[in-house]
Amino acid sequence: MNSVRVWRSAAIRHIRRAVPPLLTAASVLVIWELSVRLLHVREALLPAPTRIAMLFASAEASLIFQHTLPTLWQAVSGFGTAIVLAVLTAGAITYSRVLNEAIYPYLIGLQVVPKMALAPIFVLWLGIGFASRFVFATFVCFFPIVIALTTGLRETRPEAVLLARSVGASRIQILRHIRFPFALPYFFTGTKIAATMSLIGVVIGEFITSDKGLGFLILYAGSHSNTPLMMAAIVVLCLAGLAIYGAVVLAEHLTRSRLS
Amino acid sequence: MILSRKANRNSPPWQIGPGDAWAIARPVAMPVLLGAAILLAWQLSVQWLRLPPIVLPSPGNVLTVLVANSPLVMEHGLHTVVEAFEALFISVAIGLSLGSLLSVSGRFRDGIFPNLVLLELVPKIALAPLFMIWLGNGELSRIVFSVFLSFFPIVIATLAGLNATDRSAILLCESFRASRAQIFFHVRFPYALPFVFSGIKIGSTMSVIGIIVAEFINGSRGLGYLVMFSASNMATPLMFATTLALCVFGTMVYVSTAVVEKLFALRYELPKA
Repeated sequence: MNSVRVWRSAAIRHIRRAVPPLLTAASVLVIWELSVRLLHVREALLPAPTRIAMLFASAEASLIFQHTLPTLWQAVSGFGTAIVLAVLTAGAITYSRVLNEAIYPYLIGLQVVPKMALAPIFVLWLGIGFASRFVFATFVCFFPIVIALTTGLRETRPEAVLLARSVGASRIQILRHIRFPFALPYFFTGTKIAATMSLIGVVIGEFITSDKGLGFLILYAGSHSNTPLMMAAIVVLCLAGLAIYGAVVLAEHLTRSRLS
Repeated sequence: MILSRKANRNSPPWQIGPGDAWAIARPVAMPVLLGAAILLAWQLSVQWLRLPPIVLPSPGNVLTVLVANSPLVMEHGLHTVVEAFEALFISVAIGLSLGSLLSVSGRFRDGIFPNLVLLELVPKIALAPLFMIWLGNGELSRIVFSVFLSFFPIVIATLAGLNATDRSAILLCESFRASRAQIFFHVRFPYALPFVFSGIKIGSTMSVIGIIVAEFINGSRGLGYLVMFSASNMATPLMFATTLALCVFGTMVYVSTAVVEKLFALRYELPKA
């Protein structure tokens, strides 16, 4: 009984917090719609929100869907590969002093280099197909995760490690039971950054050269002055970005509740 | 390092033993050695495998091309850097004012901030072509797009900094009847500056990325354009040289904001964030 009341009050608090931003967003949409209609803005310049929404009910919806799958697949597979590589690299850096000294400065330095500028090189080597965008997405996702995870593994409380060592825990056990749980919040921080980077990497690759994908569709619609289609593709891309991010947040919640 | 110090404990501190020298040199020597090894392996494998420069130019080849085309690269690089700085200045102005506004007005913050955060989670890069439809293919669309990408980290940092001011400092000033404006400019804002600068540093990389991506898509000048131009002409060595220049110029924008931060820190003895 009491727990139900607690749960309900928490839900009400959440809903209350969501009201002002939703109101702002709704009023922006209404102003947008009204100004497009009243000022007779050309569709190629700015289509009304209802026009974009109606596009999803038209025949063009399947076109958008068709271009969503490759983009999403490349982003997710690149992201997943980057997580695996970053975990391995961070483990190697934490346990090998030589690797740590040799690689870590580069990881830190590369943070400030505009890595997006390297996209054309990946296209040059791997062609305009799946491979170049997959590898580029892996490349851009790798850095935030590996830096965050290495920082987390490094800053594990030394007392905890010493204690575990004194009771005879092996290195692997320390990694599994102490360092890794401690580094998890760091890991998820980096992973959340990488989650948005994955789609950005794929879209930049598609902007440069491709024959399918949402980035391609956006450019194609833009060059045909089909702004409603372009904005619909952007909306789908944003939803895909939120979905990937949401999946990471969900994974974080599940891991946290299992560990605690 | 600690061990080697102990071994030489009996020698006076100005005499550095051989173990100490290596311990001091290590943090610099290791990354330099790794970099040199990679470059050497790259150079030798290109030479031995006789890879055509169109696929993979050797580092020496890239450097030669970069030197030979330095006037061209400098000219395009100047456009890119100037536009990135212009975008960054506008972003700083927007970020500071919006961040301050959000920290002052709670209602404003409740209504707008979650939307801004949501906007940060989506691939905003995808909106680049939209800016070109609205603002044409010129400098204006590139700069506005770059501002759109880079202002948000500065807003968040400003807001976080203004809210992190030491409560006791504010209470002290209030007890001296300082006005809200006085407290804002003399207490909260200086406290926020280290935060603001960390936001500006993130924004500086974003502003460069914004300009470059816009140049990729539809530029008539700038390093992003030069990369695409050389790629479409199969001039791979020039493309590599330009990409290298892009990374260097982009890092320069970041470093210059870090230098400004240091100058501020020296002048105002900023607290650490």
